[in-house]
Amino acid sequence: MRRLRPLEPLVWVGPAIVLIAVVVLWPVVEMIRSSFLKISRFGVVQGSNGLANYEKLFGEKDFADIMVRSVIWVVAVVVLTVLISLALAQLFNQSFPGRKFARWALIAPWAASVLMTAIIFKWMLDPEVGVINQIRLKLGLIDALGGASADQLGDASTAMPWLVFVAVFVSVPFTTYALLAGLATIPADVYEAAKMDGASRIRTYWSITLPLLRPALTVAALINVMNVFNSFPIIWAMTHGQPGYSTATSTIFMFILKSSDIGESAAMSVVNFGMVIILTVIFLKVSRWNKEVA
Amino acid sequence: MNIKLVGGAALGLATMLVLSSCGSGDSGTATGDQAADGGQVTLKMVAADYGDGPGKPNSGETFWRGVVDEFQAANPGIKVDVQVINWNDIDKQVATMVQNGQVPDILQTGDYSGFVQDGLLHKVDEVLSPNVSGDLLQKFADFGKVDGTAYGIPFVSSARAMFYNKELFSKAGIAEPPKTWDELKAAAEKLKAAGVSQPFGLPLGQEEAQGESFLWMLGNGGGYKDASGKWAINSPQNVETFTYVKGLVDAGLTTPNPGTKDRKTVWEDFGAGKVGMVNGGPMSIPIFDAAGLKDYGVTAIPGKAGPLDTTLGVMDWIMAFNKNGHPAEIKKFLDFFYTGSAAQKISDTYKLLPVTNGGIEKLSGDEKLKPFLDALPNASFYPFQDPKWAVVNPQIKQTIGGAVKDDPAKVLGELQKTAESS
Repeated sequence: MRRLRPLEPLVWVGPAIVLIAVVVLWPVVEMIRSSFLKISRFGVVQGSNGLANYEKLFGEKDFADIMVRSVIWVVAVVVLTVLISLALAQLFNQSFPGRKFARWALIAPWAASVLMTAIIFKWMLDPEVGVINQIRLKLGLIDALGGASADQLGDASTAMPWLVFVAVFVSVPFTTYALLAGLATIPADVYEAAKMDGASRIRTYWSITLPLLRPALTVAALINVMNVFNSFPIIWAMTHGQPGYSTATSTIFMFILKSSDIGESAAMSVVNFGMVIILTVIFLKVSRWNKEVA
Repeated sequence: MNIKLVGGAALGLATMLVLSSCGSGDSGTATGDQAADGGQVTLKMVAADYGDGPGKPNSGETFWRGVVDEFQAANPGIKVDVQVINWNDIDKQVATMVQNGQVPDILQTGDYSGFVQDGLLHKVDEVLSPNVSGDLLQKFADFGKVDGTAYGIPFVSSARAMFYNKELFSKAGIAEPPKTWDELKAAAEKLKAAGVSQPFGLPLGQEEAQGESFLWMLGNGGGYKDASGKWAINSPQNVETFTYVKGLVDAGLTTPNPGTKDRKTVWEDFGAGKVGMVNGGPMSIPIFDAAGLKDYGVTAIPGKAGPLDTTLGVMDWIMAFNKNGHPAEIKKFLDFFYTGSAAQKISDTYKLLPVTNGGIEKLSGDEKLKPFLDALPNASFYPFQDPKWAVVNPQIKQTIGGAVKDDPAKVLGELQKTAESS
């Protein structure tokens, strides 16, 4: 019995290791393996395909645009989300009448299904009957309903801002709450000391709040980066990546490819996977996450 | 500590025992049923929704529940589970089912040929009685064959024509519906001047871009393939066609940004009196009726030099998958479907055209359907017998809208490349 003692930790850690192996590692291996196979549209493996899937993928005329768009999409959504959330968290950290209600209200976009939110925005933007266009008509921003000027989701240049808006709209609640939790951990005596030293409000925010908020900020932003990069329902429900592929990100493209060529779709997944890792590493480098706050 | 551990383990074990005994209890009853009925078989069926979606009186769920209830009453040993999926999602969801090995027994959708290549389907004579398959329109049944063997069973058919809003036409001072492209453009300009926001409804988005595009191609003697059966998506005729359509779009005479618009939305807009002309079929009549539009006419689709003498015939299919091994039960269900009242009910509910000689005879008295029934014998079809169609079709749905936005030759060229690649 005593000889088995050193193995005891294994019993405790074992299930977690098995879980990670089965749920995380195995799919990754399987994904990479599939990207080198020739697979029919319905999943029947027809043998090895060498690097052909990757060659076909990189040869797609929209591939470069899609990758650039994906990065812009991630950066735009995450930066806007974090900036808005910083302000909102600050606001919600003050006490004001109705704060409880306001905090609850903020949860709504988070609690609602993302797909539902996206579909509702799509309807609100309908060129003939959408409420947003009705308002724009009343404000004199457009001349008539039904035309190209009322059809904002029909063209990439006007559709992308709306997609980003909806993505920010659904990401802000979580981010705000994460930052709010971070703010709550900053001890009050630090602020008191700053006040005694006569620091200005801006100086206090810049030199005390932000540095002490960094752990929460890093985690919130990082989760957003990965979430937004893999975000699917908003774009799919609102534009299907159309016209053409002009509002598609790499995740959407991967899904579209799946209906015609699974091998190529797997290759896209591998590229996607690599991108997430690269984005994460860059982000962690930039945010110097493991440096202690001075 | 140890005692606690043992206690926990015992509790866990007890839970498992309880759970598993529940499970075995269930399976025990099931076995009992099987013994009593001489083998209860559950057929899994996936079908497309021809109606207005879940909850609507004409939803696919309601329709199939009626068929299945009747069938199960007559065949107590067979249970049929029908999952109804809308047209936008059915291809992708079925592909996912097949990829994951959760293959249905029966599938009713728009295409069968993609499954043949992978050897997933029963041959038709394994799942349909000869007297039933003999009543199918020969021309239609022939389209269900790949290399001489039938795999797809025609389910329903439809043909296309152009609908126009008579009230808007008289408001714009247009005497009669256009027959040529020039007349169409002139009519659209008049409608635009009369304040119609979408003179011509043009859905080239995900839902059915391949159908709308084909109708325009036919107007200029083009198509997806040439006369010799080679892919010809970027033929000079097709490029000319899309250049003309692009002209309409640029002049604001169509639905804005057609490459993002679904057919259903445009039909609903037509029903709401916001569209002057639109290509549609018998199945769009219920949508127009539901929207309250009464005063509309149906005419042949204008072509470059004159109205089309052919039109797009669309056939939807039923097929049986061989993975679960229930050919006898599937045969019972399909025979029941084609010989019973179900096919008639589809025509009544959805204004879709039948695929059997018997069915067409029964409908020949219906005035509204007559133009479409007449068009069927001379219809043109998608090249769906070509396995490549299954790969090209999704690509068309995604990108062909670009041909009326960017450079037509380039967009069609990309599609041609997809069709030709192995």
